[in-house]
Amino acid sequence: MKDGDGALMGDTKVSATNVNVYYGEAHAIKDVSVEIGDKAVTAFIGPSGCGKSTFLRCINRMNDTIDICRVTGSILLEGEDINAKSVDPVQLRARVGMVFQKPNPFPKSIYDNVAYGPKIHGMATNKPDLDAIVESCLRKAALWDEVKDRLDKPGTGLSGGQQQRLCIARAIATSPEVLLMDEPCSALDPIATARVEELIDELRDSFAIVIVTHSMQQAARVSQKTAFFHLGVMVEYDDTDKIFTNPSDKRTQDYITGRFG
Amino acid sequence: MGEHIVTSFDDDLIELRARIAEMGGVAETQLSQALDSIERRDSDLAEEVIGKDRRLDALEHEVERLATQIIAKRQPMAKDLRLVVSAMKLSTTLERVGDLAKNIAKRSRALTATSPVRISGSVVRMGRQAQAQLTEALDAYVKTDVDAAIAVWRRDVEIDDAYNALFRETITYMMEDPRTISLGSQLLFIAKNLERIGDHATHIAEMIHYSAKGEAIGPERPKGEADDIGQTV
Amino acid sequence: MADIAAPRRAASLAEVTPSLKKRRAAEARFKAYGIAAISVALFFLVALLSTVFYNGASAFQQTSIRLTVDLKQDVIDPQGRNTADAVMTGNVFRWGGLVDEALLSQLGIDPNDELLAADAQKLISGGARIYLRDYVAENLDQIGTKQEIWFLADGVVDAFMKGSISEETEESRRPIKDRQIAMLRQLEEAGALEKKFNTGLFTFGASSRAETAGVGAAMVGSMYMMLVVLALALPIGVAASIYLEEFAPKNRWTDLIEVNINNLAAVPSIVFGILGLAVFINFFGLPRSAALVGGLVLTLMTLPTIIIATRASLKAVPPSIREAALGVGASKMQAVFHHVLPLAMPGILTGTIIGLAQALGETAPLLMIGMVAFIADIPSGPTDPATALPVQIFMWANMAERAFVERTSAAIIVLLGFLLIMNVTAILLRKRFERRW
Repeated sequence: MKDGDGALMGDTKVSATNVNVYYGEAHAIKDVSVEIGDKAVTAFIGPSGCGKSTFLRCINRMNDTIDICRVTGSILLEGEDINAKSVDPVQLRARVGMVFQKPNPFPKSIYDNVAYGPKIHGMATNKPDLDAIVESCLRKAALWDEVKDRLDKPGTGLSGGQQQRLCIARAIATSPEVLLMDEPCSALDPIATARVEELIDELRDSFAIVIVTHSMQQAARVSQKTAFFHLGVMVEYDDTDKIFTNPSDKRTQDYITGRFG
Repeated sequence: MGEHIVTSFDDDLIELRARIAEMGGVAETQLSQALDSIERRDSDLAEEVIGKDRRLDALEHEVERLATQIIAKRQPMAKDLRLVVSAMKLSTTLERVGDLAKNIAKRSRALTATSPVRISGSVVRMGRQAQAQLTEALDAYVKTDVDAAIAVWRRDVEIDDAYNALFRETITYMMEDPRTISLGSQLLFIAKNLERIGDHATHIAEMIHYSAKGEAIGPERPKGEADDIGQTV
Repeated sequence: MADIAAPRRAASLAEVTPSLKKRRAAEARFKAYGIAAISVALFFLVALLSTVFYNGASAFQQTSIRLTVDLKQDVIDPQGRNTADAVMTGNVFRWGGLVDEALLSQLGIDPNDELLAADAQKLISGGARIYLRDYVAENLDQIGTKQEIWFLADGVVDAFMKGSISEETEESRRPIKDRQIAMLRQLEEAGALEKKFNTGLFTFGASSRAETAGVGAAMVGSMYMMLVVLALALPIGVAASIYLEEFAPKNRWTDLIEVNINNLAAVPSIVFGILGLAVFINFFGLPRSAALVGGLVLTLMTLPTIIIATRASLKAVPPSIREAALGVGASKMQAVFHHVLPLAMPGILTGTIIGLAQALGETAPLLMIGMVAFIADIPSGPTDPATALPVQIFMWANMAERAFVERTSAAIIVLLGFLLIMNVTAILLRKRFERRW
């Protein structure tokens, strides 16, 4: 594993060392170590079942919700071990937001979707504060102009791309430091995908973004660093420019050129 | 190459390489025949060389079209991307080689109109050298032989040296007998063209290396004493 | 890929090959079976409903006789206190005298002709005096005046007027005499005999006299039981399902519990009755025949239904909603209560109402805990002796009198009406709460 040039991105935000994940007997992630930089987009690519999503879900401990899942190794968020006994995953998830594969807005109003996180974390005590948070998050998610007149309409009534941007707005409403995106565009059409990619590029200034994607082109377009996972192993982690023009590992080469199998 | 999950992608790449190889073959023949026409003072052959250039132009367009289509349809990555990019550059390079050969053939027509001179033999010799470089570079391309490409790349210095020698010789020749100036300048242009063809062969070698390894061949290429020429005059 | 055999093709798209013919025939047969099955089911349903309605519709009307009663002060309240208490206490038979007097004067019969007077008296329901007492107690200012009051006719008169007893039948073989028929004709001509809407059906309790028997007590009993079931089964069932579905670890114990719950749903209801008898009445000493005990037993019976329905609707909530909530840092409980439960609500409500409807129609376990009692008074609370609609139907079905046959069917119609209302409510609630996700 090589370290990319540090000049491209900020400091390390998340540092994982020798992470192993087991689903019952199955060894899903094998000894993955990776440094995820701040204010940059890191993409995880790899064939289905390679463990990229599983690893992503380790970063906000979403795997905790699966009974048979066991995680070893250390994952540090700004030097703090997120798997420590004293860390409540609820607290962690406010700092590490997540956007899912399928747009999954709550069946509530657009406003309530965004306001939910700040509400349960007690980030706003009065209505004007909450209004301000909702507006700024919707603006950041490039959705404000499209929905400002119908904030009380259900979020599920938006188009797929708008729903996904609403989910991004919801995720950034708790002002997280890290934003995890699990194939955020896989259910979207190309135009909606382009909008989300543009958004990701803008959000890069404020967050450390980790994106899992099946589309190599997408990884190439949006990310600064790319990690290639295969069979639970992180095969290669390098600058995106390098991975997509001249990868070091033959497996990476074979995967990104479409020769896998 | 090969073993893409989408086999028609393989077919496209093979087709692209075949077109480049064909262009190489045409350019090589053009050069070889241009040299023959000088040697044998055969203006018909020269005409043939000139005529072949059209085929080369057509092939260049074909390669361009293929490469654009592959990029649009297949979104090649890494090795494949480099292959397509180098193919586009190679086609331009080979088309230039063809142009240069055509130019040589045109000048050869002028040479046949005058009495034969000794120096034209030296020019042809240099030409054969450049032709060998080109052939080896193209062979290396067909076989994807990086080592052979590096060898071609290193040998370019020899052509540069031959050019410099020929340059001096021709200048001396023209100074001895000013009536040969017109003929001599033709020969000088031919020599310059051959030197350029040598450079293009080197470029082909560089492309082979880039396509296979993803990086430039090495630090500075060994150069002939081209810079001396100005001082010699 | 070349070894994929080319299919044998018909020459034209319109050509019908033998195999196609067979496939079409199979499809047509299948459709025919389906239509036949539905027709049979519909036939029986229509037969059932039409029988019930045919038999029961007449029970919603009741023959009444109008009499001009002289509410004599000296008979009703000789002390002249004119209070409800004074009216309600004292000899009940004095009221009968007033009714008889009015009837005889209406028919123009000499009160001394005892045989004729006795026949005439039988035309009026035995409950008339009670009715008159209650009427006066509510209209104290009318004491001392003459009032036109409608009284229920006797069950036999009612049956005769509805045509259940034929005039053709030999006099000795029918319960109504020719003389009485003549009196009825006389009343009818005077406009003093009418069939009116039978409000008594909904307000009276059990009675051995058909004309004063109603499902009122049973309806109230059923209502108390449903309240008990709703108050207990819904919260317990939903809480149990949420725990099992969202929080409980998946292991052998929870599997065992799940299997048991599914099996409980299939346990015959009489078993729950025995359980209720043993536990609630014998062990805890709760009163017999009480709606509370009935409700508890039905709760036990309804719980598995509610749990199964609730778990199914919780399972149907897409996991992406849970993930979304957890992803923004909601705790598991917040995720469930803020997001999952509202989405599962239509399913839960539907399951609950179907469970309630099932409980409403249940008879067997209630027999075990003594709710077959003869309850004449409307129960005033869940611990009072009560009976339930289906039990009332069961009891009336055992009565021989013609007037009870129509009441049995009428009670069934009432029960079906309630079930219909509950099902419609379930549908409306589902429509109301259903949301897209």
